Order: sequence, then structure tokens, then C-alpha cells
Amino acid sequence: MTHWAILSGINGNLSAYEAVLADLKRVRYQVEALYILGDLVGPHPHCETLVHRVRQPHRGELEPQVCLGWWEEQCFNLHGMGSDPEATELLKQAGPDGVEQLWKSVSRQTVQWLRSLDFGFFEFDCLLIHGSTVGCHDVLTPETPPMQLLDRLLRADANTLFCGRSGLTFHLQIPAGAVTSTVTTLDAPAQTMTQTVSDRQIVGVGSVGKEPGKATYTLYSPYTNAVSFRTVRYGNQGKGFGAI
Amino acid sequence: MNIAVLSCIHSNLAALEAVLRDIDQQSVDQIYCLGDLVGYGPYPNEVVARIRELDIPTCQGCWDEDIVDGLNACDCSYPSLLAETRGHLAHEWTNREVTPETRAYLASLPLTLQQDNLCFVHGSPHSQHEYLLPDTSAFIALERVLATGADTLFCGHTHVPYVRNLENSHLTLTAVHPATPSPSHSPTPLSSLKRIINAGSVGEPRHGRPHATYVIYDTDSQQAQLREVEYDYTQTCAAIREKGLPAIFAWRLSQGLEYAEKADDPTHVCER
Amino acid sequence: MITVVAGPCGAGKTTWILQELAQIPTPAVYVTPGVGSAPIDATRVQARCPQVEIFDHQSETELLQRLTAGVPAYFELGFQLETDIPLLATRPHRRVALVAEENQETSWQLWADTVIQGNPSTLDLQAAQLWRAPLSGQVFDSPSLDTFWQELTQGAYGEVHRAKGIFEQSDGQAFHLDFMNSLPGNAYTELNLPRCVQGRPNRFSGLEVVGQGLDEGAIAATLKDCYLSDSLLAAHQATLKDSVPLEVA
Repeated sequence: MTHWAILSGINGNLSAYEAVLADLKRVRYQVEALYILGDLVGPHPHCETLVHRVRQPHRGELEPQVCLGWWEEQCFNLHGMGSDPEATELLKQAGPDGVEQLWKSVSRQTVQWLRSLDFGFFEFDCLLIHGSTVGCHDVLTPETPPMQLLDRLLRADANTLFCGRSGLTFHLQIPAGAVTSTVTTLDAPAQTMTQTVSDRQIVGVGSVGKEPGKATYTLYSPYTNAVSFRTVRYGNQGKGFGAI
Repeated sequence: MNIAVLSCIHSNLAALEAVLRDIDQQSVDQIYCLGDLVGYGPYPNEVVARIRELDIPTCQGCWDEDIVDGLNACDCSYPSLLAETRGHLAHEWTNREVTPETRAYLASLPLTLQQDNLCFVHGSPHSQHEYLLPDTSAFIALERVLATGADTLFCGHTHVPYVRNLENSHLTLTAVHPATPSPSHSPTPLSSLKRIINAGSVGEPRHGRPHATYVIYDTDSQQAQLREVEYDYTQTCAAIREKGLPAIFAWRLSQGLEYAEKADDPTHVCER
Repeated sequence: MITVVAGPCGAGKTTWILQELAQIPTPAVYVTPGVGSAPIDATRVQARCPQVEIFDHQSETELLQRLTAGVPAYFELGFQLETDIPLLATRPHRRVALVAEENQETSWQLWADTVIQGNPSTLDLQAAQLWRAPLSGQVFDSPSLDTFWQELTQGAYGEVHRAKGIFEQSDGQAFHLDFMNSLPGNAYTELNLPRCVQGRPNRFSGLEVVGQGLDEGAIAATLKDCYLSDSLLAAHQATLKDSVPLEVA
């Protein structure tokens, strides 16, 4: 049965990405699609090499489908193409050193390519996106209020939402829900109806590059709806990719 | 206590005066305004002056924001090319017309007002541009109320007034991974009655008649009364033409059609 | 058999002819004299009945050949035209008038062999304005066109008695829009024509409005605001291309 491999948060970490590609060759399933849900780049010295590796897959490797993430948006801000030209959000999270490192890590040419990426993907009944349709900054976790999680699914009209902003792996299901709504307008008497939802799910796909030595990602079968998570140890654990 | 809530005046002074007269005849203790004081209509400075004179707590609407920050609504927030062209004409006209004082006042407006268990916003708690329509998913509607922490959310922006009660809500959330010690499969009741009250539009109604609409809410009985006030809209229509705004705005006002139509995708929120 | 159809503006002449043509399995001929630059009805007939040959005054020789060969022919007369057609002076033909009861003046009764109940018309011919806009090559932003059509037919640009047009839409399809003030609503029909998904369509589209006190300048200006620019059209067509494999799969 074929699967999708869903990655996020590589953050320029080439070793981690190589480790995941190697792992993909080991998995029992046939993998028919490779998604990277944003944060491909980051303040990492191997960023340019990584982008090249992603854009030029080796013979026999899948062509990754990449969408925008929070770090890509920060690149746009630094290059005057974003909605936050002062890069206040980036400064807050990464400090002046982080800003400088990101500036050095991603070339303008790469930023131009990043500009061509999609905001997310919609396949079958699945939304694959970095944050949510609210934006790349939107962090969903198991602690997010359930109604907010449902909102993110309903906004996109998706049954399954894959997201990567938190960097966590999680799999939450919404088996059932209901709300009774009564609307009164100027011209119509009160009308009551009950709305229900069932069988929705939200998946945090993990992070490839965030934690040194440990990459996490997600396998999903759109045919059986099965979700599984993979953890790959690399580098210092003696897998031969060298320290970062 | 009775409160009156107005929204979307859109520089229509005659409509505002008519509504204020109507409020005078009701026993109203406090007035709130949900923004969009300016845009489309012929009297932006006069409307702002009147709201300030009466010291009405007001939150900022999307048009007020655009006049302060320059047009930063994305193209996609207009439902059609025609609406976009007209919206830009109205924006440019208003931008020329407003005084620095009016602009400064609009800039000072908060996005949200909160009073006890009532919350006041222009569009939704998440965005001045988001439409909460009577047929917006009840779950999305409930999320918007829950996000404010209030029991009753007052909004405008759609220009059609309504009251929506949301109750008997429950939602089951199960964590498959990381597995919780005892995953709960029983529905979790979410809240008691929550309510969205849309105040309609004073100056640019869209319910099919040209009359102004607003709402009176009794905080004790929690009853909302949707009010429709007739006024001489031909005065505003004449001023629209005289002051060089597109004549089609006058026609649309006289038909109870919004000057530019509402967005097709109400939950679409511009990324910019 | 030659049939000549006449009647007041908006009586339903083309619709009646289309109903007749639908019952004729053989080749047939449709003639609209004198609407050279705005063949809205002819385009509608052609799209609905591709087997029907369309003629105007330009190709009289060929038309004469068809008439001589006895091919069934329908002549649709414009409401503002004379009902005398020299071509038919010596040929036997049936005269059909589409007239509502309240519009039945003696002149129609005198002219017609058959009077059929048509849509009522309140048009004051003395005060009536006829305004035509050729729109060939223009592609419309659909939501803008909806707004324009609503405004036009509800009287934003003067009193409209009758409006009909063929409009190209961004999905590559052409639509026939039809409004008659004595009938409820609007007829909105997709024309059975090839989808144009590359560049600008190279076929007729246009608008005809009949009414009183029409602000022609405002109508023309609003129409222009509904046109797709080259870049917007290209963007729409690019998304069409993307979606085509999805449709196939």
C-alpha cells in the first residue's frame, strides 16, 4: 500500500534531511509522494546545499512538493518582499544574531525560488500546510482548544489537516461534535438547526531538523487513512552523517 | 441595562441622525459602535465628529483601518473586479476628504471592546475583514465567541442584522498520539449559551430595503431587538452625486444593496 | 416552407423559432436581416442548432439557392424593421406574429397569417432607445458581470425593457443572458460552443439593450470595469490548464 511521506521543519539541516531520505528507502511501504510542509530553510550554514539537494533529487528519488513555512516568510521579510519588513516577529524569536544568520544562510536567488512555492496543498480530503489556512505562524498543538482545531479543519473544508509549525508529532481525532444554532433575522422568525461533525483529524508531522541528531516525520496512507510517525537518529548516533 | 449597538455607518450622516433619534425614544443607557464610520458615503468627517461628540465607545472597522494605513486590503478581499474598482474610487475620495483630525481619531480606535461578558468587534475577533454570516458554520461561529472569553459577541461588517444563539454544543477530541492515559471518548460539553448579535448597518444596509438597521440589547433579560429605521435616504443619494462619488452608490443605497457587494468566501482572510 | 416571424421587442421570436427548429430533423435556414454587427440571436441559434445555416443580407445568392431548393427557412424580423422583404415578394411564405393579447393592434392581425401569444411588451416605440455594444474578444469577470447585469436589469442605468447579450467568461465558456421586463427573473444559458482556453476568443459576443432614459455612457463604463485584462485572463487560463488533468483523472 502506498504512502505519503510528510516532512516539515528541516531548517536547512542537510544531515537530517539525508537521514530521512535514507530512512525512506528502508520503510516497508512504497512511498508515492514526498511533502515538505515549510521551514525548509532556516539559519543554518548548509541551507543553500540543502535547497539544491531538494530541488535536484537523485535518480530514483521522489520530487519533493514544498510549501511555505514560517522561516520562508522571514526570508521574504528580510528581502523586503514580506508583510513584516521590519522583521519584528523574527527579531523577537531569533534575536539580532538569528536575523544575521538567516540573512547569510539564504541567498536572494533562493528567496526568489521560495516565492514560487505554494501556501499549502489540498489532496483528496487532506490539507497539508505549515501552520494552518490562518497563516504560517499559526501553531497547533495537542493543547490547542478543540474548537480552534476544528475551526482550522472547517476553514479549509478538510477531513484531515497535516501541519508542521509546532515541530511536534501528534495525532488528534475528532470523532463527533454538535452545536445547535438558532438564527433570528429582521424578516424571518427564529430558525433552529443542529450542525454536527464527525471523523476529522489533525496531525502534527514532526520536525526533521529542529532537534540535532533526531529527525521526526510522518507516513500517511490516503487509502487506509493510517498515520504513523518515524523517528530517525543520525549524526552523533553513529549513522555516519557526521556532527552538525 | 439597555445598550444600543451601531455598525457600518459609512459616512451616511442622515442615517446616523435618524438612528440617534430612534435611540432617544428608547430607554438606552449606553451606545457602542462597531466601526466602519467612513468609506463609500459623503460625510466622513461629520459622522466621526458626531460619534466623538457623543463619546460613543467605538472599535475600528476595516474601512477605518484602510484610511489610516492606506489601502492594504488585498485584491482577494473584493468579490469582483467591479467591486474592487468602486472600492478604490470610494477609498481615494474618502482619503482626500478626511481631515487629519478624523484620521487621527480613526487611528486611535481599538480592534476590540469588552464590557463584562460582552465583546464588541467589527468583523470577527480574528480580523476586521472576516464575515460572520448567519449561515457561517455554527462551529466556526462558536469558536469566534469562545475566542473572546465573552458570552455575547457583537459584530457588524455583513450589513445584515441577525441574532444567533449557539447552545447544546459538545465536541469529542481523542489523542491517538501522544496517547493520553485514558483517552476520553465521551462528548465534552463546551459551554452554555453563547450568542452572536450582528448589528447590521446604519448607513449602507444590505437587507433589501434602504432603511438603517441597528440593535438594542437588554443585558438583564439578554433579549436583542433588531431595529429598522426609515429615514430620508434621498438626501444621502443627492450628496453622493453632488460630492463626486460614483452615482451607482446612490442607486445601490436606494435599493438597499451594499455599494460593493459582500465577499463570496466569508472566512477568507487576507494574508497580507 | 418559408416562415417569417415578427412581433414586438422581447415577444419571444427567437425562442419560438428555436422550438420549431428543434422539431425539424432536416437542414434548415435561419435569416436575420439587418443585425450585422450584433448577431446575438443568430449566435444563439447556431449554438443550439449547429445543423442550421445562418444568413443575413450579405449572402443573398446562396440564400436564394437554399430557398429555391425548398430548404425550410425561418426569417426573424427585428421589431424595429419593416415587415416587407423584397426577397419574399414572389415566394409563398407563412407569416407568424408573436404578440401578447394586450399588444394586439390591427396591424399585426392584418399582416400575419397566424398570431401566436407572445410575451407582453410595454415599450413605447417613440421613446425607446436601442443600444448595442459589440464585445467580441472581451472576457468577463463573472462576479462583476453578475453585478452589472443585476444593476442593468433593475434600472440603475435607466429603464430597461429588454436586454440580451452573449458574454465570454473566464472559464472559456460563452453565455446567453436574457432579460425581459414583463417576465420574472433572467434566463442564463450556457451556449454549446467550444471552450476558449487560450488567449482571447475569436467569435462574436455582444450586448443589446432596449429601454428608455438609458445612461449609455455609464453602461459602457461599467461594462469596461468588468473586462479581464490580458494578465488576469492569462492567470485564469493557467489555472484552467492545471485543472484539466484533474478532470481527466
